[in-house]
Amino acid sequence: MDILTLLEKGFWLGCAALGFAVLFNAPKRALMMVFIIGALGGLVKIVMVSKGIWLVFSVFSGATLIGFLSVLAAHNRKAPPMIFAIPAVIPMIPGFFAYKAMVGIIELTATKDPQAYSKLFFETVNNGLSAWFVVLALGTGVAIPMLITRRQTVKRLNADDNLEVESE
Amino acid sequence: MDTHAASPITKYELGELLLEIGTLLMVSGANTERIKVTIDRIASAFGCFTNLMVTNHALTLTLTHQDSRKAFTSVKWIPSHHLNFNLIADISAMSWRIVLEKWSVERINHELATLNRKQLYPRWLVLTLVALAGASFCRLFGGNATEMVAVFVASFCGLYVRQEAIKMKFNFYLSIFFAATTASLIAGFYFHFNPDEVYMHAFSTSVLFLIPGVPMIHAVSDLMDGNTLNGIIRAVNVLLMAFGIACGLLVSLLIYKF
Repeated sequence: MDILTLLEKGFWLGCAALGFAVLFNAPKRALMMVFIIGALGGLVKIVMVSKGIWLVFSVFSGATLIGFLSVLAAHNRKAPPMIFAIPAVIPMIPGFFAYKAMVGIIELTATKDPQAYSKLFFETVNNGLSAWFVVLALGTGVAIPMLITRRQTVKRLNADDNLEVESE
Repeated sequence: MDTHAASPITKYELGELLLEIGTLLMVSGANTERIKVTIDRIASAFGCFTNLMVTNHALTLTLTHQDSRKAFTSVKWIPSHHLNFNLIADISAMSWRIVLEKWSVERINHELATLNRKQLYPRWLVLTLVALAGASFCRLFGGNATEMVAVFVASFCGLYVRQEAIKMKFNFYLSIFFAATTASLIAGFYFHFNPDEVYMHAFSTSVLFLIPGVPMIHAVSDLMDGNTLNGIIRAVNVLLMAFGIACGLLVSLLIYKF
């Protein structure tokens, strides 16, 4: 894939992420970061898929990159990481698989012929499972960097020995 | 530690305040762990301990102070969700300043009232950028310029219909269904009269602006954090919304007989 195609795809990925950031009313200081993070994460997935790597793993890698960049951006722009991460991963959401699976399930209820049914069933389960695993990969990919970098955010101002006894 | 925190009146006010903050966070689209952490952080600034139960439609909070035996317990209903990431960022920043600058309850109440709860962006800008996002999806799935224009118009009208339907207090899933039907009907319109062109890309990406991305990601993150029940609730919610979108698409498919 040449560099120009990648740049173009990156631009559209960024636009998609930006649109959702505005829909979710993200603060203005986050918008530029969301564009960049969304484009980079999506490009990782596109390049990996074009190299023939398993879709779910490609999505996981893209989402992990988005998670790490969001944590960095969160320190830079003083906003929680999820504000960057969620709009940025939305271009990777498996809308097409979910659509095919949903329509497939509805069509299954209207199919009687066993031959057609088994073909449709095969496709529907395949699309549905792909959608499910891509969503899982997105969620875990984004969450892992935040779990790794999560520091002790609760600062107790005084010692609470008695509470610890109670909670045990 | 200042002594006024221990008085029962302050504890009552603090409890109400914490529930209000938790509600705002839940409505704006924070995940369960963030609500717990933020409320715990603010309560710790007053030397209080919280036991919080977060569900999708109600918060239950018990607030105790180590010096007194009386506890504050209350339940607060959460109104329907309305995503607002700016509010989450502001509350998160405020919670840190509360701890570091030792704010009083009155000060927090005052600041909370001044927080910007409205949309930051004018409606036409939101509609245009979301429509552009739809067109971008179409391009990424391999659509050409005609299909992109069709998706742009479809997403614009679809989001407008959803905003109006929510304003008119229609059922949440029903408004998604209306929006999906509108968007797919508009996206399919051009291709209905030009049957030799490929409709697939425009038709399937015209409804992608409706995908429930926030509950989808939060469902996974809640499950990973061990808030299993909330994660399952969010996942079921996502399925219902996806079903609403699919029904809208199905109506258009039946009308146009693609």
